[in-house]
Amino acid sequence: MRKYMPLLLSSLIVASVLGLSGACTRGQKTVKTVTVYVSEDQVFSEPILKDFQKQTGIKVKAVYDTEEAKSTGTMNRLIAEKNNPQADVYWANEPIRAEVLKQKGISAAYVSPNAKDIPSAFKDPQGYWTGFSARARVLIVNTKVKQKPNSISAYLDPRWKGKAVMANPLFGTTTSEIAALFTLWGDQQAKAFMMALKKNKVAVSTSNGESADFVAAGQYDFSLVDSDDGVNRMRQGKPVTIVYPDQQPGQIGCFIVPNAVVLVKGAPHPQTAKKLIDFLLSPQTESKLAFADCAQIPLHAGVKMPPEMKPISAIKVMKVNYAEVAKKMIEIQPFLKSWMGL
Amino acid sequence: MTVIELRSVVKFYHDTIALNSCSLKVEQGDRLVILGASGCGKTTLLRLIAGFIAPDSGAVFLNGKKVSENKTILLPPEKRNVGMVFQDLALWPHLTVEGNLAFGLKAQGINKTEQKLRIRRMLELVGLHGFEKRKPAELSGGQQQRVALARALILQPEVLLMDEPLSGLDYDLNVRLRSEVVHLQEKLGFTLLYVTHDREEAFSIARTVVILEHGHLKFKGDVAQAKRLLQL
Amino acid sequence: MQKRAFLIGTTAILIVIGLLPVISMLVKSVFQNGHFTLSAYHGLLGSARQWVLIKHSFTLAALVTAFTTVIGVPLGILLGKTDFPLRKLFLFLFVIPLLLPPYVTAVSWFDLLGREGLLAPLLGSTLTQHIGRWLFGLPGCTFVLFSVFLPIPVILTVAFLHTINPRLEEAARSAAGWGRVLKEITLPLIFPAILLSALLVFLLTFGEFGVPNYLRYAVYPVESFTRFSAFYNFKAATAAAMPMAAITLLALIFESAFLREGTYQLQPLPEGAQRMKIHLYRFRSGVVISTTLLLLMIVIVPLLSLIIKSGGFAVYLQAINKAGESLIRSVSYAAIGATLLSILGFFSGYLIRIRAFKFWRSLDSLTLFLFALPGTVIGIGLIRLWNTPRTNFIYATPLIILLGYLAKYTALTSRISVTQLAHIPSSMEEAAQMTGASWLRRMIFIIAPLAKRGLMAAWLVGYIFSLRDTSITMLVYPAGHDTLPVRIFTLMANGSPELIAALCVILIAATLVPATLISLLPLFKRQEVWL
Repeated sequence: MRKYMPLLLSSLIVASVLGLSGACTRGQKTVKTVTVYVSEDQVFSEPILKDFQKQTGIKVKAVYDTEEAKSTGTMNRLIAEKNNPQADVYWANEPIRAEVLKQKGISAAYVSPNAKDIPSAFKDPQGYWTGFSARARVLIVNTKVKQKPNSISAYLDPRWKGKAVMANPLFGTTTSEIAALFTLWGDQQAKAFMMALKKNKVAVSTSNGESADFVAAGQYDFSLVDSDDGVNRMRQGKPVTIVYPDQQPGQIGCFIVPNAVVLVKGAPHPQTAKKLIDFLLSPQTESKLAFADCAQIPLHAGVKMPPEMKPISAIKVMKVNYAEVAKKMIEIQPFLKSWMGL
Repeated sequence: MTVIELRSVVKFYHDTIALNSCSLKVEQGDRLVILGASGCGKTTLLRLIAGFIAPDSGAVFLNGKKVSENKTILLPPEKRNVGMVFQDLALWPHLTVEGNLAFGLKAQGINKTEQKLRIRRMLELVGLHGFEKRKPAELSGGQQQRVALARALILQPEVLLMDEPLSGLDYDLNVRLRSEVVHLQEKLGFTLLYVTHDREEAFSIARTVVILEHGHLKFKGDVAQAKRLLQL
Repeated sequence: MQKRAFLIGTTAILIVIGLLPVISMLVKSVFQNGHFTLSAYHGLLGSARQWVLIKHSFTLAALVTAFTTVIGVPLGILLGKTDFPLRKLFLFLFVIPLLLPPYVTAVSWFDLLGREGLLAPLLGSTLTQHIGRWLFGLPGCTFVLFSVFLPIPVILTVAFLHTINPRLEEAARSAAGWGRVLKEITLPLIFPAILLSALLVFLLTFGEFGVPNYLRYAVYPVESFTRFSAFYNFKAATAAAMPMAAITLLALIFESAFLREGTYQLQPLPEGAQRMKIHLYRFRSGVVISTTLLLLMIVIVPLLSLIIKSGGFAVYLQAINKAGESLIRSVSYAAIGATLLSILGFFSGYLIRIRAFKFWRSLDSLTLFLFALPGTVIGIGLIRLWNTPRTNFIYATPLIILLGYLAKYTALTSRISVTQLAHIPSSMEEAAQMTGASWLRRMIFIIAPLAKRGLMAAWLVGYIFSLRDTSITMLVYPAGHDTLPVRIFTLMANGSPELIAALCVILIAATLVPATLISLLPLFKRQEVWL
């Protein structure tokens, strides 16, 4: 027996290595599959994808994202895989990324029949991305704060010096919102706003989730976060509430961040990809995401949603063009880097 | 017939010279003992013949064929029909006595029945009949020496090199094993190259004595001549 | 012939798996639209701020290295050489923080000590505030990374202690007490272990991004990371990772300056030798108490807080439900990865040990360079190199993850093999050579069995590091084949804290179970002598 150990061991190794490889490439021909890279939090997106799989029998293979500050994620993969795409669909959690993909030539145009009733502000005119189930950028406020802030200019109010936190402006929806402000106010005013943030000792966290946790823990009074981070903490029973900022006449409105679905150029399975896109853009999906803890706002009119939720028509939306915002985001990179002290 | 020849071999060990233009001829069937103090190059000489190191200049011949010269090993150790008993014996601790002996036979492709036969014969020859299943750690010093000897001889080498194999054994055991080595050599007929620093040991084993001093071959002759030289 | 082929093959594998992806990133970073340009490197280390970041990284790395070495080596001696009770248990427990991604450990400390943390009601608000100030910044980072990397000098010390020839200590003990013997005989003999662990901890800390980012201490890896994550600028990110190479080189030069040739040559252990052990006598209770306190502080408390946070049985069921498959995948990939790493490390270590080729030193440096490089750079390099239609059978399968492990962690198994091989007297192999056996036969039947303790140790180390890997796996895992640490990270975004805590506990268990099983094997029985 002893003698055969090396032979046994080496055949075991070779077998398992081949088995790993074979197990993946085999069976791909018989069962219909679709590969989707997902930036929307796994907790919310996975059930939707499982529903799609159950309904259509198409097997879904997903790569989920982490919060940007924890590790590099799906965007980098998509870009690195450009010459030999592995993904069929990209489920972005905000349209700026979708725009970046369009600019880098990684997305393909597809106008889904379900895109018809989505307002034009929330989709690409040629169909390179389509928005759905949006988050709003809101203020999460600790309940112990008596007079709640109702505008992002609260960050500049000396009343809250050192008591407010914001997620790292180099990542995610925070970058998008700042770029949006740049397009709205112009470079000079926006830069002044950023410098004033520093003066008012606004703390910087690594992510929206972290900001929400800090506010829930009482470490800070309020933060600008995504609505799903806020609602999530509320449903966990934490002592926080959310405020839609800048809703008064004359104010800039609330920055809306829809999810965006993208067909990847050169997708290995274009047929199933389109089916998945149609499914994601359906009112049924939007309803599910509205009732889920992420409490995302449907963009189709008349979709069933929880009574305490404001429909998109009732929110004053910050008027921006996402394509412009995407371009601006790249432009202000050096400024943001130096603002962060890098 | 000359079995081993060293021609003007020079070997440096770091910055000191271990062998200084050494020339030596060893005849077939001889029992040649290399005598000398520690650090005089005895082990270097053996390792050159075994094929683990190459001379810095000069050449080594086995059976008239050149096997190493000028920093190159032309024939590697596993291809020279040479056996060796190392100073630390180098018995493989994870193999039994049988395993230690069988290793080389297996490598030669000898079949199992033949292996078992040869092993039994060899163990009887060295007086370790029945010790097949023991592990080296279970053997006494003397028994280990004999296993090392058996392992080297079982492949029927033409030349056997022994590097101070009996150092550290008590006197009586040493004497007994010496005569066993001589007995084996006479019986099997291989050429023996034996390294020691002990004169008594040397004289009781040798037919030819070679004295190395600081890398020089100071003397080569028979035992009587050697004794006279050393005034014994 | 065989030998040459195998060793060249080993080198080739390391180059193809590890060096090539990195070189392809490097090459791409200096070409813009077909022209050679250093524009991506422009401004690298140009700003004063970046030097500040490097200084921060250096400080953090130096502090963590100093603390882990100063505490880890004596702890290793305690657990490896004395009559300390329940040694094996303590050793296992101390290893736990190494098993989790460091970021998770940092978060569990915040959960404990934060303003609304578990201990907040016990400590009162002013104390919690003080702690909060200390937790965020250099002290907190140092503390967390100290607890994470402490196992490294401990394990290496214990391992190297096994290799000391007892005769040397016996000779010394007949003339002096243990204090002097340890200081003048034992410690100098295990000096290579101390240096190696210091080198590894330094490199790991210098390249650590997650913890300092979370605890608000600005360090250099942020630069490379940000250029990836925020700007998707691969060229700039590669450029930013290159100072890591310089640091590795510096560290290696430092190490070799200390390891003068021959002075610390490891001696082969005479077979059947019995190790010497130290009786603690009157020191025993004091030592046990202080070690237990240390254990409580850096392992038990955060582990308990994880277990408490995870809640009840139902959460664990849910965790298995949500992540059971990724757990199985994690364990299999790590096990296969560890096996491949041991084999590759064995041959690489052999090559380095016998200095088979003139470039043996470069091979050792190459493996360490890959170890020090951010996993992200290696990951993107792997994608770039292997994501082609022809190599899809590798890229679209878990094989690519294994390649990543091989690239990053071979340094560990290689160095362990070098040490282990040094304990095998060359006469063992030479005796085999004289029987006419081929090189491969000698390797498989003589050398490998004699090296089996080292091989097992290498396997365990390879397993631990593969299992906990996130940076490379995150980037290359094929869709639907995520591992447990990756899933922990993806679920952390809005996943319930109880679920995350349960998953962390499961991850720890998944690592400890094989380690326990292996240590129970009779391989490790040795007689011990009490003096």
